[in-house]
Order: sequence, then structure tokens, then C-alpha cells
Amino acid sequence: MAEMDSLKIHSTPQFKSSSLVVGWHEDASELGTKVIDYLNSKLGVEVFAEIEPLDFFPLGGVSVQDDVVQFPESKFFYSRQKDLVLFKSNTPRSEWHRFLNTVLDVAENYCHVKEIYTIGGMVSLSAHTAPRDLLAISNSVKIREALGQHYPDKGMDYETPPGQRPTLSSFLLWAACNRNIAAASLWVPVPFYLLPTEDPAACKKVIEFLDKRFGLGIDFRDLDEAVRNQNERIARVRFSYPEVDNYIKHLESNLSLSQEESEKLVKEIEEFLKKTD
Amino acid sequence: MVACWPGIGSIGLIAIDTLKSMLDAEELGEIEPWDFFYPKRVLIRNGELKELEFPASKFYFKRTERGDFLFFIGEEQPTDGGKAYAEGKKAYQMANLVIDVAQKFGCQRIYTSGAAVAPIHHTARPKVWAVPNTKDLINEIKKYDNTILMSDIEERGGQGNITGLNGLLLGVAKKRGIESICVMGEIPIYLQGLPIAYPKASKSVLEVLAAALGIKIDLEQLNAFISQSEKEIELLYDRFPPEIKEHLEKLRQVNHARPTEPGPITEEDKKKILEDMDKFFKKGPKED
Repeated sequence: MAEMDSLKIHSTPQFKSSSLVVGWHEDASELGTKVIDYLNSKLGVEVFAEIEPLDFFPLGGVSVQDDVVQFPESKFFYSRQKDLVLFKSNTPRSEWHRFLNTVLDVAENYCHVKEIYTIGGMVSLSAHTAPRDLLAISNSVKIREALGQHYPDKGMDYETPPGQRPTLSSFLLWAACNRNIAAASLWVPVPFYLLPTEDPAACKKVIEFLDKRFGLGIDFRDLDEAVRNQNERIARVRFSYPEVDNYIKHLESNLSLSQEESEKLVKEIEEFLKKTD
Repeated sequence: MVACWPGIGSIGLIAIDTLKSMLDAEELGEIEPWDFFYPKRVLIRNGELKELEFPASKFYFKRTERGDFLFFIGEEQPTDGGKAYAEGKKAYQMANLVIDVAQKFGCQRIYTSGAAVAPIHHTARPKVWAVPNTKDLINEIKKYDNTILMSDIEERGGQGNITGLNGLLLGVAKKRGIESICVMGEIPIYLQGLPIAYPKASKSVLEVLAAALGIKIDLEQLNAFISQSEKEIELLYDRFPPEIKEHLEKLRQVNHARPTEPGPITEEDKKKILEDMDKFFKKGPKED
């Protein structure tokens, strides 16, 4: 068990056989935390525990983002009604193994979690008009079979390329496997030009899965509206800027863009979407 | 024991890995990595996480007529933050674990190895800077070939720092009363920031270690590596702009072993070299 000094328990709700959904900040499009925020708003959750940042994050000051001070947070929420635990956190900068074991201690000892899912966005070179995909990596045959009931198993092969490192989600899957806890990481490719803003279609893809898996009874009308709204706004950019339209057409035809073209597309879309927010 | 972690030009690592391979030392054990390191590689097959690999920190052992040798090779330096060199609690813990093993096996002496960034030219034979953790070893070091002490180096007056675990280990060994020496191969000041190996300095280190330990070494493979590396460095050097080369050419005359003579380059020259190199690599070398 991890040292408990870094864990703060606010309340000890009674769990029967819950599942844990984890969202990290700092993934592509911040999809993980957006999904957690969405579920929090829909399920009426409560915070019941948090991990203190001292041992895991540099605290020599604070960063400022979009005019607002940022501070690392690592909070556990629970939905009594759905027996679901949610964990939203920045990715720790040191003591990763201890941090992940603290998460697993809460999952195992307080929540009696049977399954863990991590959510993450990944960069895609596809156009936003292509349907969003859901990719899964599991840490056991058991959870892979369970996943197969709700989404087509793509059987992904992957190996960390030189110069890169595995994701924290992979580290969590490995640590969970060592405790015989079934875990899977779910990934949705997000079109690269939506990374600075948001991708409600990617969010919807994950929520649909979680809704089916846990019987959450989500009303998707707001997400459908957000997807429709964004598609319309991008259609307006395409109409106003033929160059942008041309770039997206390239992507729709599975053609790649040069770095300069990609940067221009990102800039135009970001500016337009932020302007019309 | 001969211990090493990666550093500039992989100088110590190449030297000690070569020595370990020459002696055909066998793997003895390892320090469990997960509390020290972030994983370095994941292997996923058919949608299932099959393997998560961490940087290794391994011990090797060889019994010879000249004595028993323990080797320790760390693939990465543990840090508390995102820095390249070890510092903080993790580094101290790892240094203590390595010394625990050294003491358990009755090691009498520990050598570590690293790089010494020096104002030398890449055509020069790199010297080895040796730093002991006790005064008692100074006379022994003075007998080593091609080796200098900190006090032999111009302007240093016996002062300096050894960054990371290759240095920290000497401190922890000193605390526990174990004799240790860090041997550092010189790397030209203008190559220090580049992601390339500098095996020529590893050879200098290896020669010193082999002599100190009484081991015969075969340098054929290392010489081939050096030839290849020299060709690559020459190609890079040819592409430096004339104004940078003008400063670097002065380094051909540097000899650290004569501290009483005025050096051929000044502190200002050194600063200018580093600034020019920084600008050159930020801009990127022009293709021919």
C-alpha cells in the first residue's frame, strides 16, 4: 500500500462493486478531463478524496493559463446512484509509481473497484468530418472481453518509438495489473486542428461507451447540439476561407498537409472558433 | 566496483560497458526500477498491454586472478524532476543502494566515470581528470598515465563539481569510509551539448581504469568506434562557420598539464565559443 500521508479522505461513502474512470489533464484536447467534467455535471457527483500535490508536483510557483492561475489537482468524485468513481488529475511530475499506487489504494481499499478505465485524446491527421474512432488497450483478457461487448475490438499493435515515453495511462494499467485489477485505456483520435479548442464529437464517443458500459442513462441532446454547432461553425469558416476549405478537403481525401499548411489551418480554425464562442 | 550512469558524450558508460564486456562479467542483480524511473517503453499487442519496460540499473560480477570485480551500470539517472542528472532524494537513495551492494560484497574501492568538459580540440588525446574522495589516493592518482588532478588544471585551483550520480556516489562512499575515484574523460567544450558519443575520451578512461585494476584490454572494437566517430565529428567541424572555427582552431594548442604557462585561449574566448555554438545549433547547420 502507498504511504497515506499524501491522501486526504473527506468522506467514506459505501461502495459495492464500483468502477473507476480516470481523466488526466494534458492529453490531446484535454479530452480525459472534459469527459470527467461532463460526467460530473450529469451524475451529480461529490468529491470524497484527493491526493495532496506536495510529493508529486513542483510547487515553486504557479503557472498562468488563459489569464488564470493553475494549480495541480487530483480529486476523486463518486456517484452514489451509479456506483461510479471518477478521478480527475494533472499528470504528476515525479514519484509516478507512488502516485499511481495511491490512486489504486483508493480504488481497491475504499471503493472496491473491479474495473478501471482511463480516457485520453490522441492527435489525428484526419478531418473532423470523419467519424470518431474509439481505441482500447487492456491489461487483461477479462477486460478485453468485456470491452468487446460494446465496441469493435481493433486489436491494436504499438511500441513506444525511440525518443518517446509511454503514457501515464499505460503505467497505471501496468500497476493495476500487478494488483489483479482489470483496467483499460480508451483513446479517441482528435483532429489536430481542434486541439486548441475542443472536440465534442470525441467527447461524445467516449460518453457513449461509458453510458452503455455502466447504464448511466445519459441524455445526449446537449452533446449532439454541441457537435452540430461546431460542424456548422467550421462549415462557415470553410465557406469564408477557400484556403481552409482546400486544406480540409485534402484531409478528407486522405492527403497530408505540409507543416506550414497544417499550422495555418490550426490558426484559422482556432481564431474563428474562439471568436464565435 | 566500477559504477557508471549516463552523462555527456556517454564517455563513462562506453568505457565501463566495454570493460564489463571484455571481462565477460555476468549479470548479478538489479535495483527494482519503478520507484526511481518513469517507464521507457510499452509494448502493446493485439490491444493488450504486454510489457512495460523501465530503465535498467544492473550489477555484474567477474572473478579474475587479479581480483573480483563488480560492475554497476545505470541506464538513466533518477531525478526528482525532469532533469538529465540525478539530484534530490531519489539520487541519494540510489547511491546508497549501490553502496549497500558494494559493502555486502566487500568492495575495497569504487570507481565511477563521466565526462570533463574541457577547452581542448577534438584532434587532441583526451586526458583523464581524476577526483578521489580521500587525500590518501592523490599520490596513487599521480602515477596514473595521462591523468590530471583538479589542481593541475588552469584556473581551477583544485576546485570543481561532479554533476549527478557519478559524483554523488563518491560522496556517499566517503560517508561510509570507502575509497573512491571518479575518472572523467575530456570532451571538447564545443561538443558537450551534442547528442553524440565521444568514444575517444572513453578510451582514455578505459586505459586508466585497466592500468589501475591491472586488467589487460583489447581496444580493437573501441578503436573502430573511435574512427567512425572522428569522421562524423570532422564532417560536423567542416560545416562550422569560419568565425566559429577561428576560435576553435586556437584550442589545438591547449595543454592543461602546464598550469603555470598562460593558456592559448582566454575565458572570453571560451565564452565566445559556447555562445557561437549555441547560436549555430539553434539555427541548425546549413546543408552543403
